[in-house]
Amino acid sequence: MCDNNSCGSARPNMKPVYPKADKYPEFAKLVDEEKSQVDRRVFTDEEVYQAELKQIFARAWLFLAHDSQIPNPGDFIRTSMGEDDIIVVRQRDKSVGAFINSCPHRGNRVCHVDSGKKSRGFICNYHGWSFGIDGGLRGTDGGVYDKDETFEKSEIGLPPVAQVQSYKGLIFGAFDPEAPSLEEFLGDFTFYLDIMLDNDQGGTEFIGGAIKSEISCNWKFPAENFVGDILHASWTHQSGAQAILGGGVDLGKRYDELAFQASIYGHGIESNLDKVGNTRTLGYPDLVDYVFDLSEKAKDRLGEVRARAIGAVSSSNVFPNFSFLPGQNTFRVWHPRGPDKIELVVWTIVNKNAPDHIKEQYRKGVMMTFSPGGVFEMDDGENWEYSTKVNEGYMTRQQPLHYALGVGTLDEERDLPGIVHKGSKNEANQRLFYSRWAEFMKYDNWDDLQNSKVTLPQNKKQQWSD
Amino acid sequence: MSMIEICDSSQIIEGEITKITVDGIPPIAVSRYEGGIFVFPDTCPHADESLSEGWVEDGRIICGVHFAEFEFETGEVHNRPIGCPNLTFFKCEDRNGKVFAILNEEKTDV
Ligand code: FES
Ligand code: FES
Ligand SMILES: [Fe+2]
Repeated sequence: MCDNNSCGSARPNMKPVYPKADKYPEFAKLVDEEKSQVDRRVFTDEEVYQAELKQIFARAWLFLAHDSQIPNPGDFIRTSMGEDDIIVVRQRDKSVGAFINSCPHRGNRVCHVDSGKKSRGFICNYHGWSFGIDGGLRGTDGGVYDKDETFEKSEIGLPPVAQVQSYKGLIFGAFDPEAPSLEEFLGDFTFYLDIMLDNDQGGTEFIGGAIKSEISCNWKFPAENFVGDILHASWTHQSGAQAILGGGVDLGKRYDELAFQASIYGHGIESNLDKVGNTRTLGYPDLVDYVFDLSEKAKDRLGEVRARAIGAVSSSNVFPNFSFLPGQNTFRVWHPRGPDKIELVVWTIVNKNAPDHIKEQYRKGVMMTFSPGGVFEMDDGENWEYSTKVNEGYMTRQQPLHYALGVGTLDEERDLPGIVHKGSKNEANQRLFYSRWAEFMKYDNWDDLQNSKVTLPQNKKQQWSD
Repeated sequence: MSMIEICDSSQIIEGEITKITVDGIPPIAVSRYEGGIFVFPDTCPHADESLSEGWVEDGRIICGVHFAEFEFETGEVHNRPIGCPNLTFFKCEDRNGKVFAILNEEKTDV
């Protein structure tokens, strides 16, 4: 930069920047699909982590908010996409805008509160630049910029998230202007999302605010746990289940016939279709009755299989880091905060039409089980922290990890969308999660990503490492 | 300064702020509140931003930049950014559908 009159002849270019993705074939190889192994560098390496922010979090559709959190113009919440701080705000025309929460002047964080109602706009603390709820620069302080002819207010604003779309009340954002539509990104996985989002005609809402906590683990441990790890439940959660249920985790009498894992584009769900196994762990008999009843009524909307899934022992993750538990009615995001840390944000979802006392029991039930002080979350957190931390040992992190449970269990007959495997005690979804991860490392374009022969079911014939 | 014609009164809409430029003087703004016509400088007393880009809410003119709020009638400022004076209104009247005002600039400097 310079200061004489010949410089400054070109005005600042304040257009938002959306960088192109790259290719990281070396990192993709850290996932060994042949041997069903994952190299521990995916959990520890700073360069791998930076590549994840660029290849995955700057491209994929990421969960932002539920419609019910920001019903009116000016209502907003602050969240993250990867490590980027984001303001999500309802516009006057009822659409939703999302913006990077960093002032284009010196970069200061503009909005500091977690959420608010009917905001008039956002004013930066540093020099008083003021932004509308549409992200545009409205004005400045000091009475000087208006005399500066090179200052073009209309070209300056909080950088917008390139795309914002929603699916049945869930609002997602994508930084990549070239990302396919949200529905294409989700693919047939919407079939499984509807278990939670569309089991009742009134739709859903989030209630009771958010519970936030930090866990010293890599973000992929919780994501892979929710995408398809019921195996840990009978061991890790034995004591919690004992305390609440008076017995171990029960996958139902028809496990062999009903339990499955399904995966599409790395999104995955495992379910035992036992009707109320997850709901039961919240500890309220009224909730169990409510779900039995709901499940009966939902057969028309969802069909037999999904009606059994509403409260069943099950878990799910939408790639990359948005998880939910049917039955326990919690949605959560594992925001990355470095290779060895996450910020976890947890919400409770209920049907809008549910009676008030049922909503209240879900809210309390989630706090008692899946919050930082909840019986199950505590069990999980410690495992993920040590699975991450031990890799500080140089020799330790050279050692292989085993992801081969359920190789050869592909179910080509089952009439369900996705790549379906028999049995929920399986690591098929986890393998496909890491295959998707590797694809994001390997491919620099959406054409390759969306036409993957590995993570997109090919007439149900294709499968990872079978 | 004498009374000058600034616009047709039909141009002034209840609850909206309209910017008017008259040659040779700083931009002015007009609004209607509970039927009455109000004429005032368009430039916010706080930091030289345009009040016509703000809006009217609960009997107050809101500056859209740092959200200073000025009461109709008195011009008293609320939610005041530091150093922001009150707003001053110009004397005006509606003569057969034309609005005339005395644009005494000194009155706006507090
Ligand atoms: S950093 Fe925001 S106004 Fe200067
Ligand atoms: S410019 Fe109007 S309040 Fe600051
Ligand atoms: Fe768990």
